[in-house]
Amino acid sequence: MEAFDALMGGFAVALQPTTLMWGFVGCFVGTLVGVLPGIGPALTIALLLPLTYHVPATSMFVMFAGIYYGAAYGGSTTSILLNTPGESAAVVTALEGNKMARRGRAGQALATAAIGSFVAGTIGTLALTFVAPWVVEAALAFGPAEYFSLMVLSVVAVSAVLGNSMLRGLVALGLGLLLGMVGVDLQTGQPRFTFGRPELLDGIEVTVAAVGLFAVGEALYLAWQGRESKGGEVMKLSGSLWMSKSDWARSWKAWFRGAFFGFPIGAMPAGGAELPTLLSYYTEKKLSKHPEEFGHGAIEGVAGPEAANNAAAAGVLMPLLTLGIPTSATAAIMLSAFEGYGIQTGPQLFSQQGSLVWTLIASLYIGNVILLVLNLPLVSLWVKLLKIPPPWLYAGIIVISTAGVYGAGNSVFNVGLLFVFGLLGYIMRRFDFPAAPLIVGLILAPLGEQSMRQALTISQGDWSTFFTRPLSGSLMAIATLLLIVPPLWKQWRSRSQR
Amino acid sequence: MTPLRVALLLVALCGVAAWQVTVIPESLMQMTVGPTLAPGVIVAALSLFAVLYGISAWRGRQTDESEAPDQSPLPGANARVLSLLGGGLAFIALVIPLGFVIPGTLCGMGVARAFDAPLGLKSALICAAIASTFWFVFAQLLGVGLGPALPWLI
Repeated sequence: MEAFDALMGGFAVALQPTTLMWGFVGCFVGTLVGVLPGIGPALTIALLLPLTYHVPATSMFVMFAGIYYGAAYGGSTTSILLNTPGESAAVVTALEGNKMARRGRAGQALATAAIGSFVAGTIGTLALTFVAPWVVEAALAFGPAEYFSLMVLSVVAVSAVLGNSMLRGLVALGLGLLLGMVGVDLQTGQPRFTFGRPELLDGIEVTVAAVGLFAVGEALYLAWQGRESKGGEVMKLSGSLWMSKSDWARSWKAWFRGAFFGFPIGAMPAGGAELPTLLSYYTEKKLSKHPEEFGHGAIEGVAGPEAANNAAAAGVLMPLLTLGIPTSATAAIMLSAFEGYGIQTGPQLFSQQGSLVWTLIASLYIGNVILLVLNLPLVSLWVKLLKIPPPWLYAGIIVISTAGVYGAGNSVFNVGLLFVFGLLGYIMRRFDFPAAPLIVGLILAPLGEQSMRQALTISQGDWSTFFTRPLSGSLMAIATLLLIVPPLWKQWRSRSQR
Repeated sequence: MTPLRVALLLVALCGVAAWQVTVIPESLMQMTVGPTLAPGVIVAALSLFAVLYGISAWRGRQTDESEAPDQSPLPGANARVLSLLGGGLAFIALVIPLGFVIPGTLCGMGVARAFDAPLGLKSALICAAIASTFWFVFAQLLGVGLGPALPWLI
């Protein structure tokens, strides 16, 4: 009941015209970046971080939430019409969605994706509303040792479980942690890894790293390949946007099942959105009365995964808001935005910034409605965006990236660093190193070090505190299992296949 | 560039990082964990991962997208990459003396060239429009400090 009252208070603020306007802008921009290839929510939020000096925190986070949800909505359009998923979570949508488009049912595919996103986004936000206060209550029992162990678990999970290779994930994480150490040590005032450059004393800005890796790195990779300008085939927006009775009957259960896969898995440290979308796809394939249509454009194969993707987006916000732990690159950038406003995330966020958090959650409900209204009627506009020639699209992306980084501090050094990170992003993309562990590591390194120091000060230098305190020890045990079990499982499977 | 060279780069980076750990001044404050412990542990872990990656690459178990049939680069890959980086360099070199729009236009032209757009008047005009629009939105509407738009406004 307390959560409900707080949520109503959040709605009162979120429905004010100015806040609503920021939410609308966020949803519009989010859908735009979700539709456009080469630019995602993490990059967009990173680019908008310089605005945090000019816009009140509530408005900014409402906009960020709109971008975050909007990108999850918009990604389906590219998958269905271009067969080019903007992000890994939208890969499954492309499997059936593009086939539907080729069979002249693009309209119905887009409709089931949009309505499913709305249903699942709302279910996910409901779950966030009522589960988050419980998590906060539990998290209040966390001390520095538990926080450190939780961070270890998160970074291990993000690096070791997601991605194609645990080793490459760990290398990316190591790089992120190392970059997170650059700058003056806040506790002792000693400079670290600065090479005597005053520009590095404040550390490496997350914006520079994220924009460099995601925007410049991606553009360099695509330019290196040279295939982008040959262009993909944008499917015609064929078929009515109205779903038939049979389409509704085949979609609604898939939406709900997708939402129930998406939220809990998205809320886990290593959950992400890829696993629930895959689970949803295979479940729908198994349960469908028309399994023969899978692979040729089955509507359930679009409805379920799209719902799972959007519910997972709500799930990712749970550890961020309740524990201050980012489990995706976008969440990491949002954490950085909280830091930019001097707001401490974690369980205190709900007590110290209750109004902000509940306005943010209320704006997620409103955002879902805005996105449903925005997505389908404007679909022809999104299709036109897909036809922007790559040279001008990427010129725009790089110029806006450069402007964003340069504008954050009028630092030419940072623009140079942007292109260095771009080269790093190109190498990582080419050799299949995941970027998310690097960003998460960059942000969590100083926070983790701080928690470790506090824990060791309390335990008077006794390192066993991380393993002997029950909760901390359990988290460390799970992190260790995540490191050990997957390779052993892989080895066992390869042996049993021989 | 091959996975083995990436491993060598990583090892070299770890070497530089290890040297930097040794030059971190010790704090005079009495504390349980000094400024070198966390960086030291991270560099050690990264070195271990780099060596493991190197061994794996040497055994041919690491991937390079350039070897994938549908991912391999078309001819002229280096020129395209250099063109994009050249645009960035132009921006870095010229933004202080010339303001935002001209370096932004050159940067955009470098990127467009990297995606096979010919260097010409059309490219210059489109990229100038892009740079001017972003300058207007960021600097004028949102109040982000991008400096003056053009050199005569400095």
